[in-house]
Amino acid sequence: MSADRTEAMGDDSLYEMLLNAIPSSVLLVGRDLRITLANRNFLERSRRTREETLDRRLPEVFPPAILDNTEIVRRIQSVFDTNKPTTGEKINYRAPGGLMRIYYYRVLPVPHPDRVELAVLVMEDVTEWERLSEDIRRMERHLRIVVESTSEIILSADTQGRILSWNQSAEQISGYTPQEVEGKYFWEFCAAEHRADARCLCSERAAGKSPQRVEWNLVTKSGKEVPLCWICSPMMDDRGQTIGIVAVGRNLTESRKLEAQLLQAQKLAALGVMAGGIAHELRNPLAICSSAAQFLMDEEIKPEFRRECAQKVQQGMQRASGIIDHLLKFTRPAKRGDRVKLDLLAVLQETLALIADQAKIQNIEVRPQLPDAPAFVQGDAHLLQQVFMNLFLNAIHAMPNGGLLKVTVATAPPQVSVQVADTGHGIPAADLGNLFDPFSSKPNGRKSTGLGLPLCYAIVQQHAGAIEVESTPGQGSTFTVRLGLSPG
Amino acid sequence: MNPEFLIVDDEPDLCWVLENLLTSKGLACQIAQTAQAALDLMQGHRFRLAFLDVTLPDMNGLELARRLRKLDPLLRFVIISGYLSKEAAAAARACAEGPICACINKPFLHEDILGVIQHLAAGDGTRWKGVVC
Repeated sequence: MSADRTEAMGDDSLYEMLLNAIPSSVLLVGRDLRITLANRNFLERSRRTREETLDRRLPEVFPPAILDNTEIVRRIQSVFDTNKPTTGEKINYRAPGGLMRIYYYRVLPVPHPDRVELAVLVMEDVTEWERLSEDIRRMERHLRIVVESTSEIILSADTQGRILSWNQSAEQISGYTPQEVEGKYFWEFCAAEHRADARCLCSERAAGKSPQRVEWNLVTKSGKEVPLCWICSPMMDDRGQTIGIVAVGRNLTESRKLEAQLLQAQKLAALGVMAGGIAHELRNPLAICSSAAQFLMDEEIKPEFRRECAQKVQQGMQRASGIIDHLLKFTRPAKRGDRVKLDLLAVLQETLALIADQAKIQNIEVRPQLPDAPAFVQGDAHLLQQVFMNLFLNAIHAMPNGGLLKVTVATAPPQVSVQVADTGHGIPAADLGNLFDPFSSKPNGRKSTGLGLPLCYAIVQQHAGAIEVESTPGQGSTFTVRLGLSPG
Repeated sequence: MNPEFLIVDDEPDLCWVLENLLTSKGLACQIAQTAQAALDLMQGHRFRLAFLDVTLPDMNGLELARRLRKLDPLLRFVIISGYLSKEAAAAARACAEGPICACINKPFLHEDILGVIQHLAAGDGTRWKGVVC
């Protein structure tokens, strides 16, 4: 609009034009609640004419439902009394024949040097805003339900690792309420031996590194440790900036129990396979004790021979007792979480001793090629022994007519590899791909203890290692287990 | 004291048992801890009876019996086993056929071992002349 035209229009019509251009309803109300001005927006929305509105009192224009259910009259009066604008209030209103709309009104005094004579009632249609914020609230509620309904711990932390949110599962598992953990560092709730790792991982994730799966124990309020598998991911904002981390923790207590049962079942299966070897191993010292006792029954033997016989009895008993110790040690349920620095060669030697007789009665030559220096790894001796026991017994099974079982250990820091090679019937190429899959074992095909290889795979994975197989049907198979060497 | 008894077992204490049992009855013996050592001993000796362990480090006891018998068709065998394995069943069958005259399980009674020798001494001809236990 040009300046000339504005001047030509005069003040009144300019104000009216401005008033009508406002996309809100505006009323000017006097002390007696009489309406002195109404803009076009109000007239259109209320479906009233100017004549039906101007110079009429508010109760004649507004439906009683609004006046009775809102504080609009009281607030207008308070503006006249105090000369101060009021805070807002919402009105739900459906004009005759229209849809339900939501208005937000405010009352403002019209400034006057002496006494306030007029107040402006501004009503904005906030229906769309309300709908939008209801959608947001609904979405938030949905997300909260998702987060709160899962049995997994979901927590968020800032880039420093300080906890921001902590869901119901976290509260149930740990015993700490969200208020108790807020602002505390995530790793403070991890078991002592995992705290340094957790702290390091938090800062890596906060630096935007891709998600990582780890197993850390959580210390509950009562001091109990709960094993959890965590997946920690960086938390990004709309612009892709890392603003913290999200950690999802699955309670492993039940799966650990199942794993322990499976492990125990595997041990018993292995014992069944070794029964022949055990019988053979025990009968030798028994035969020697028995014979030495029979010699001792002869009263005429020389004193030196008598002593020799007594010694043989004693040694035989010790040997039998040693065999029983070995067996008990092997079958004892493994305690989880005992990750210690151990010599892998000692584990291998102990396992080789257990299968020696079984190999012997099947005409299998066992040829260990172990380095002189110990090979230290961080791990659980019971679990690792189970891996090698399975691999050895599978190799023995693969050679029903005898053969050679080579166990070769090679250290190449930061790794150590154990090769278990047999000269048995081998594995068909078609079976190699899913050999470690628990659902693909063929009970009538390869003679094995069932879930042995999948269990080996799981245990090696838990030790952050790898297991591979190469095989040529008719010539034999080689399984290679790779583990990380522990320093020093 | 010739011909003698041959003891083939890789378990030294078991050789000790058999050696003492035989020598206490005035019977001489030689010991081999592997099948190969037994085959080597056969080059210079003729034995009456060989006590063989079923599981030897380098050969199965029954296979060793076959090889030894090729070197000396008159040699007899006693198989000593700690485990009722496939081999033990095969040994029992071989026992019925002739050259293996007994399969004895560990632990055993001395009289079982001596009984086999007495039985052979009573029934056999020239090679067992003069064996008393």
